Parts: sequence; C-alpha cells; structure tokens
Amino acid sequence: MFRKLSPTLVVAIVISLLIVPFAGVSGYVIRLLAMIFFWIGKAGCWNIISGYTGYIDFGAVGYYGIGSYVTAILMSKGQVPFLFSILISGIVSALIALPIGLPTLRLKGAYFGIATLAFAEAIKQIILEFDKTVGVNFFEGPHGITLPIGPQNEFFYYIGVVVMIAVIGITYWIRRSKFGYALRAIHEAEHAAELSGVDTLRAKVKAYMISAFFLGLMGGVEAYWLTYITPHMVFDVLITIQMVVMSLLGGIGTVFGPVVGASFLTILYELLHRDFPYTYTIIVGFIVVVVVLLMPKGIIGTLQTKRVIQRTRLMQ
Amino acid sequence: MAILEGRNLTKYFGALAAVNSVDFSVEKGEVLGMIGPNGAGKSTLFNVIMGVYKPDRGEVVLKGKTVSGLKPHKICRMGLAKTSQIVQPFTQMSVLENVLVGGLYGKNLSFANATREAEEILEFVDLGGLKEMASGSITVPHRRRLELARAIATGAEIILLDENMAGLNPTEIEEVLKLLRKIRNRGKTLIVVEHIMRVVMGISDRIIVLNYGEKIAEGTPSEVANDEKVIEAYLGEKVCFV
Amino acid sequence: MLLFLQSLLNGILLGGIYASYSAGFSLIFGVMGVINIFHGEMVMLGAFLTYWVFTLFHIDPFLTIPLSTISLFIFGYLVQRFVINRVVEEPPMISYILTFGIHLIIAYTALWVWTADFRTVTTSYSGFNANIGGMIVPYARLATFGLALFVVVGLYILLYKSEVGRAIQATAQDKEVARLMGVNINRIYAITFGVGAAITGIAGSLVSTYFIVYPQMGLPYTIIAFCVVVLGGMGYIPGALWGGLILGVVQSLTATYLNAGLSGAFTFILLFIMLVVRPAGIVGKGIVE
Repeated sequence: MFRKLSPTLVVAIVISLLIVPFAGVSGYVIRLLAMIFFWIGKAGCWNIISGYTGYIDFGAVGYYGIGSYVTAILMSKGQVPFLFSILISGIVSALIALPIGLPTLRLKGAYFGIATLAFAEAIKQIILEFDKTVGVNFFEGPHGITLPIGPQNEFFYYIGVVVMIAVIGITYWIRRSKFGYALRAIHEAEHAAELSGVDTLRAKVKAYMISAFFLGLMGGVEAYWLTYITPHMVFDVLITIQMVVMSLLGGIGTVFGPVVGASFLTILYELLHRDFPYTYTIIVGFIVVVVVLLMPKGIIGTLQTKRVIQRTRLMQ
Repeated sequence: MAILEGRNLTKYFGALAAVNSVDFSVEKGEVLGMIGPNGAGKSTLFNVIMGVYKPDRGEVVLKGKTVSGLKPHKICRMGLAKTSQIVQPFTQMSVLENVLVGGLYGKNLSFANATREAEEILEFVDLGGLKEMASGSITVPHRRRLELARAIATGAEIILLDENMAGLNPTEIEEVLKLLRKIRNRGKTLIVVEHIMRVVMGISDRIIVLNYGEKIAEGTPSEVANDEKVIEAYLGEKVCFV
Repeated sequence: MLLFLQSLLNGILLGGIYASYSAGFSLIFGVMGVINIFHGEMVMLGAFLTYWVFTLFHIDPFLTIPLSTISLFIFGYLVQRFVINRVVEEPPMISYILTFGIHLIIAYTALWVWTADFRTVTTSYSGFNANIGGMIVPYARLATFGLALFVVVGLYILLYKSEVGRAIQATAQDKEVARLMGVNINRIYAITFGVGAAITGIAGSLVSTYFIVYPQMGLPYTIIAFCVVVLGGMGYIPGALWGGLILGVVQSLTATYLNAGLSGAFTFILLFIMLVVRPAGIVGKGIVE
C-alpha cells in the first residue's frame, strides 16, 4: 500500500534543491522557496502527531512560539550562537511538550483539540503579561524582542532545505517503522492497540514531543529570519490553522501530503496577500470546508486510496 | 498453581457494584466458561482482569504476580489477551498487518520474526488467503477470527473471549469451536463468555456463573446445568442446556 | 472591601452575559455532538447587526433584539441544514475542523467588508450609572444582565415546556428512539442549531452595548464559551449559567487584583486544567466522549 521511494530520485531532487541558489534565480524566488520549505516543515511536524495518531492538535503554534522566544532571548540577551540557540529551542519545546502531552493525550479527540488550543493561547498570554506581572525585563511583552541581524536569504534557504528534509525523512521513517505501526494502530482502534500490547500513551507522547522539538527549532530559525518577534506574531493561531489546512489538503497522515499542501498554499498566499489580504484566509476557510466534506483524505490520500482500490480489484 | 486468579474482585460504577466480590481461578490449559444473564457483569469482569478498569477491591493475580491496576498493554505483554465483543480491526491495515502489530508489541519481536509468525498464525486460523486484504473490508466472521489471531500473536498464554461468536450461524460456530480446540491443544488457557449455551457447555472444562455481579455457581457443565440457583437466574430466558 | 464587592458584582454581571451566549454552544453539542468553532462569529454577527441598525436607523440596541433573534435563527438553521448536517454522525473532531473553516470564512469576510475598525454602540443612557450600596453599575449593564438571565431561563422553558423542546431533548437522549417516535431528526437538528444561533445572536446584541465590536471578536468569545461549558458540563444547560458566573467572577477578580491581561491567561489555564482534571464539569454532569 505504500510505494517505496527510489533513492536516485531523492538524491536528484536534493541536489537540484542545493544548486538552485547558484542558478541565477532572483532573491525573491529564493525567499519564496525558503518559505515553502519552512511551511512544509511545519505542516510536516503537525502531520507527525495529528496525521498519524488522529489526535488533532490545535495548539501546535505554542511550541513554535516557545522556540522563537528561546532563540530570541538566547541570541539577543545571551549572545549564544545561532545553531546552539535553535537546538536549545527545540529541546526546550520538547521538554515542555512532555508535561503538556501526558495529561492531554489521554483526552478524546475534540477535547484534546480544545485543550491544546487553550495551551497555546495561555502561553501567549503568559509571555505577554509576564514581565509586567513579575517586574522584570525578560520577555519584553507586547514590545517584542529584536534579534541580531542575520545573513542573507540564501542562508535560510539552506537551513530550510535541511529542516524540510529532516522532517519529511522522519515522517517517512516513522511510517515504515515499528513506531509507525503503533501510531497507526492508535489512530484506527486505540483500545484494541492497547489490548495488543501497544503502550498507547507513550507512543502518543513520543510523537507529540518529536513534533514539538522540530516546531521549536523552526520557531527559532524563523525568529532569526524575521529579526523581530512579538507574541502576537509567533503565537498566532493562524499559524496552526495553516499547518492543519496544508496537511488536510495535501493528505493527512501521508508523507508527501504536507509537501503538496504547503507548496500550494504558500504560493497562493504570495499571490494574494499583498492586494487581497483577507481573501487568502477566506479561501483557506473554504478549502477546509471542501476538504472535510468532499475530500477528507486530501489530495495524496485520495490518490493513494484509488490506487489501493484498483489493486484490490485486480486481485479479485 | 493457578495461572490466573481473581480474588474478591469488586468494581463499582457510581453506587452500583457491577462486579461484587468475585473469586475465580483458572488452571493452565483449562477452558473456563463464564455465563450469566445479560448485565451480569461478565464483560466488566473481563475488563477488570485486562486492566481496562482498576478494581475497587480485590486483586487479579497472573502467574503469581498481582497485576490489578496495571495498564492493559503491560498485562498483555505478561501473557493475557482479550477479544472484544465489538470487533476492532485496524481497518486501514491489511489482515497481515493487524496480526503483525500483536507480535511487534505483545511479544516485542523484530519485524522479520513478527511477520513470519503472523503468517503462520494466519494459516493456523485459516485466514491465510486474505492476508493482503484491508481488514475493514472482510466479513464479520473473518474479522472475529482476525481478532483471535491478533490475540494469539501477542504471545498470550491466556485468552479471554468476550462473545467472540455472537451473531454467527451454526456452521460458523462449529468452525470457531474447532479453532478453539486447536488453540487449547497448543497449550493455551481460555476463558470463554458466550450466550450460546451449547457452545459454552460443549467446550468448557469448568463453568462459573455470574448474576448481578456476583458469582452464584461454579462447577462442571453438568453440575452447573442442574444448579437451582442458575436455573432460577435464567428463568424466563429461553436457554438450552444440552 | 468595597473594591472586592465591586469586582465581584462586575464579575457576576459579566458572568450572566457569558452564560447567555455559552448556553447555545452547550445546546448544540448536547443535541447533535457538534463542536461549533464559529460560535463566536454568531455573537459578532448579532453585535454588528445591532451596531448597523443603531448607527444607520437610530434604533435603540435593545429594540434590535427581535431582529437579531430572527436573523440569526435563519442563519443557523440554513448553515446546519446544508453544511453541518453532513457531519453530525461523525466524531466531534470532524465538526471541529469543519466549523473552524466556517469561522475563517465568516470572520475574514466580515473583516474585509467592515474593516478592522473598532466600533462601539453608545446610547444616550450609556453613561448613567446606578449606585448600589457604594458600588457603581451602569444601568445598561443591569439591563443586559437581566436579559441574559431571561435568555437562559427562556431556553430552559423552551426545552422543557414546549413540544419542540421535548423533541429536541428526545433527540439528544436517544436519536434512534426519537426517530421511531416520529421525530424528524434532521429538522430538529436544524431547529436546534437555529435556536442556539438565535440566543447567541441576542447575546451579541447585548454585548455590543458595552464591549467593542470588531470582526475578529469571535474567537475569544468562542474560547470563553468553551471554558464556561466545560466548567458547567458540556451539554448540560443549567451548567452554562453558573459556569459563566464562575468564569466571570474569576476574570473580574484577576483583572482587579493582578492585571487585566492575566485574566485572559487565567481563562485558558482554567480551561486547560478543567479538561485535564475534570472534563465532565464541576458537577460532573457534562458529556465526555
């Protein structure tokens, strides 16, 4: 049911991606591609927890924002180098994901969605109000934090390539691994999985923490890229929505669904947001409705199912 | 020594004791039948044994170790498996993959070994021909057998069957009975809950009877069939004890 | 001491409003298992309706209530009938995602059409306050509180004393049996959603009299509704009343003694803790999947 990737194809794609910035494309295209890579990464992270286990996470931006702030504080106040900062961002996010995930992943579907949404909004509010309440100058509240000026877009382009490949790679690896079977079993019949020896809570939390790690790391990278962050920017619920829709549209639970969904929606955003700022989001809303009602498996999911049906028909 | 024991098991839902001070023990290789009118607490007792519910009083002892209060997956890994009344296959996975999960996690096998065992088990339960089919698309009797196969794959020494034969026609029931005997001949221990008396009486070495959460009788099939309390509990229900 | 009482009173008045628009949310989930993320948008639509009618035609906001009731009822009925009804049999997560999409559509269309400007509904009597034992309460707030309670009580009466209400309850308790007894389930779903929308629209009209009206106001209200309903018990209407009161008081006290921004954080933290520790609500009568 799952086509194996040909290694030559993978290598070819990776090499072409690495060469692009030298091929004379404009800075605008490099920047756009980098954006696409990061959205693939973010949507891919969301897919690891929500696509595989079926626990729809509406608080994913929480870890992204935590990562942004960790890197921002480390780099601006601590003069910590970039690579260390983003690594620590990822680790901090993953560590926070543990006490959050343990209680919430016991909740059934929709309550998990509400709890995670509450978590993300709570963290945003806390960072907004912390300094004022405690009387320090740490998070800087609504004023935001300015990071040291970063390198050119090409730098972030390459980081984007690495992160994207890492996330997709992990998604692919999970799918074919023992861990992947646990996650899928949880998605399809959690109680039966538990009765068959799967430590369901542990598997869920593991997926959640992996997702949080990369989200935190990406939050850190993008904070450096943006150079200036505020709570409203990096804890924006719209970021979670984008991750959700990109995975849904592309194919939730598939390895390349986020690639398709993120590419499509990022380009759409680029085309629309300057002249029609709200239209993009309205279209996203419509995409959600259409996908849920007509195409719940997303583009890749639907294609995969068609192939399975064809093959089953051939077998009979 | 009994391979599985329940001592003074009690489980409350609100003010109602769904299971009340139930003692039982099962020897290795035995087939224990459990009967009782609807609502007697049989499924609840299974869920308590399996760790789905923590008993309010009493213990479950598996191979000499107290397991009550442990999570189901731990109890499974220690050698106990349960089939559910409403079958729950991993619908998007193939029949083979369903059984594979049992071997991977219940027995902690490698992929290669788990796959090999899964194929053997599917042959054993006579589902070999269906191994590539999506488990969501096979018939209900096949799904029941798949559930059983998955339980076997976890390496369980004791299998709890919760109305595994509900809704099957007599031919299908005969086939399942044959399978159960095969499983028993492999040295497994079974606890069977069924409403079809012919089945329970036919395959059980001993039977315990529950009513309103309490054990009201215990003994060989003929002892139980002639027990006044049992007959009284079932009065009004059309039941054939032969 | 007076500060405490004033804060408490403010919290109670606020809580009544919260209760009034959370009741609809609870009703919809209780009857058809749908989690409605665009719930806040219905508050927003009710508020905007009142704002425009007041601004353009100078009709008193309280008099616009019949209009928002009817409009939102029709809106809710149609949306349920043609869109939401397709997912009522699915797990609630599906409706969560679907209604999130609808939330985006409504909120951002409103943003597009009406711009992000903040608006207020200021009547001639907006500034007049009552003085109760040293505590200051705007008359308008007392009126809105009274009306909010009236809405919740009215819903209760509808559910328990009318035939439609009994059909709704029957559907909520056992769909199949209700169907066998001749209840048209699809129609009841649509009516229930319409009723939920209507009372939320009324709450929106009331809210416009002392909160700012702007297109993105919906989501915070939805989250508050979540919190109220989880506190009081999902699907349990009376729970919405004192879930609202508790939340209103907690927010008011936090704003008075700590700072206003933290009251938001507290809402979310409270919601999170409730879900994890006691998802069935304080009295435990809520529906937990």
